Amino acid sequence: MMKFDVVIIGGGLAGMRAATVLQTEGLRCAVVAEGLSLHDAPRSEFKAAGGTILAGDKVVGGVFEGDRLRSVRTEKLGDVTLEADWFILATGKYFSKGIVADMDRIYEPLFGLDVLYEQDRSKWFDPAFSSHQHFLDFGVRTSDGCALKDGVRIVNLIPAGEVLAGISSAEGDAKARIQKSALDAVQMIRRN
Amino acid sequence: MQERNISASNFEQCQKCSICETVCPVMANNPAYGGPKKSGPDGERYRLKNGIFFDDSLKYCLNCKRCEVACPSGVKIADLIQRARIDYGTHSPKLRDMMLASTDQMGPLAGAFAPIVNYSLSLKPVKGLLDATLGIDKRRTMPKYSSETFVHWFKKNAAAGQDDFKKHISYFHGCYANYNYPALGKDFVAVMNAFGYGVHLMDERCCGVAKIANGMIPAATRDAKINLEAFRKSLSKGREIVTVSTTCTMTLIEEYPELLKVDNSDVKEHISLVEQFLYKAIASGEVKPVWKKDWKAKAAYHCPCHQERLGLGIFTTELLKMIPGMELTELESNCCGIAGTYGFKKENFKVSQMIGRPLFDSIAAAAPEFVACECETCKWQIEMSTGVPVKNPVSIIADALDLEKTSELNCG
Repeated sequence: MMKFDVVIIGGGLAGMRAATVLQTEGLRCAVVAEGLSLHDAPRSEFKAAGGTILAGDKVVGGVFEGDRLRSVRTEKLGDVTLEADWFILATGKYFSKGIVADMDRIYEPLFGLDVLYEQDRSKWFDPAFSSHQHFLDFGVRTSDGCALKDGVRIVNLIPAGEVLAGISSAEGDAKARIQKSALDAVQMIRRN
Repeated sequence: MQERNISASNFEQCQKCSICETVCPVMANNPAYGGPKKSGPDGERYRLKNGIFFDDSLKYCLNCKRCEVACPSGVKIADLIQRARIDYGTHSPKLRDMMLASTDQMGPLAGAFAPIVNYSLSLKPVKGLLDATLGIDKRRTMPKYSSETFVHWFKKNAAAGQDDFKKHISYFHGCYANYNYPALGKDFVAVMNAFGYGVHLMDERCCGVAKIANGMIPAATRDAKINLEAFRKSLSKGREIVTVSTTCTMTLIEEYPELLKVDNSDVKEHISLVEQFLYKAIASGEVKPVWKKDWKAKAAYHCPCHQERLGLGIFTTELLKMIPGMELTELESNCCGIAGTYGFKKENFKVSQMIGRPLFDSIAAAAPEFVACECETCKWQIEMSTGVPVKNPVSIIADALDLEKTSELNCG
């Protein structure tokens, strides 16, 4: 077991932003980054602040106790789990498989979190290619900033970035909204 | 549908995002190389149709596996490239390649005449001759050979007492600790013994990584089978296998099944790098370290490419951070450029040094007393190119531990 203050799942814009701010403020953070979606400036800044990056590793599951996520397992660390007070889920949307679309349902594959999406499949997309595509709005459902699993609010699991319902990198102001969601996660951890 | 149609290399999952190209150290420095995407998943589609699409430029791949670390879709790009070289490559290895690759044949030969060999290999005319006749670059500092192998030292000085311990492990020392740098093996024995583990050797062969890289597949496969048998024998006695070399470990765990098609599924869970083994033992309270009171060092950690691929660098950094007097800078992840035998070859020397430049610069900026690094070939490259000494984490731990007090606490 390895203990951190915050484990960030995903090394993209949202994950690195939240991780760097928290690490700089003195919390011990680990980012599990499958693939190097961002590898230059944000990574250097985080590492310089003393943060830990598990590059090329992947979270494969977690242990929940009541309304808390206790620990996560990764592909590479085997039986050594990552424990933390807080977890930030920043796994992105369809491209990075933070959200997966099947023929008849849309789901969050890592923990099976509750996902907000249109039940009627014909409403997922608009046949006019360049108009707004609804599937881009789908994502993890939250309650006061925390993720929900089978309707239960997981009090220490905060989704940030594109994995969230309502945020998509296809929108014009996406980068600002992704970073805002990361800073919201930081705020929540600061407050508690 | 996709789930039902997945190759071992996962190549049909490639999304053409090209992230692999942004992290390839060769592509950035050698225009003759097409890059990981083109050589790997893209080329594979053609090669599956017809082997004539195999391109000889695949030989420029370092097999550093940084593309695999970067890939968001889990495609085993470097494996695809190495496998294609094995399946479609027509060149048989040159004499030079066979010499560089046969670490286990050259080791005993060179070791027997170590003082002469080491002296000769440092002479300009000899290096010039090797350059002209064999294509081993004359600008390269050649590794030193030791006149006494680690195995010889172990049998003479350490083997006798090992059965007296309560816990036991088997040590896969690899060619480097045996022929080039027995001090590393001695440090390993000192640390493991202090923590209360008896150390045992096996009937091991070279892991085969250099043979694989140089196209000597039958020889590598034969060695792989002998090693796995030795591991099975060790496990039947309840002894886990502990290694010190990153690349040997990656070869034993990943390349055997992926590239040599030798099944290791029954033993691979029982092979640990020493840093991983010690971290787990200390974190779980199984063993307790006593550190020297006045020990201090300013070090920079370079994570070797294969360590990053294995995802085990975190164990080294967490372990080193446990040492009270350690001031550790984690260097930005970069390839040192040597990639085993690659950087020794005349045709690769220049590219090899260009690849390593960002790392050398970051070491100069960190200005450490020494670089901490698990890999032996990174050590050669960094020491030659920066002048900063490189220490294996095991040797750092052996130095920082109060071995006597640790032993009293753990062997009682």
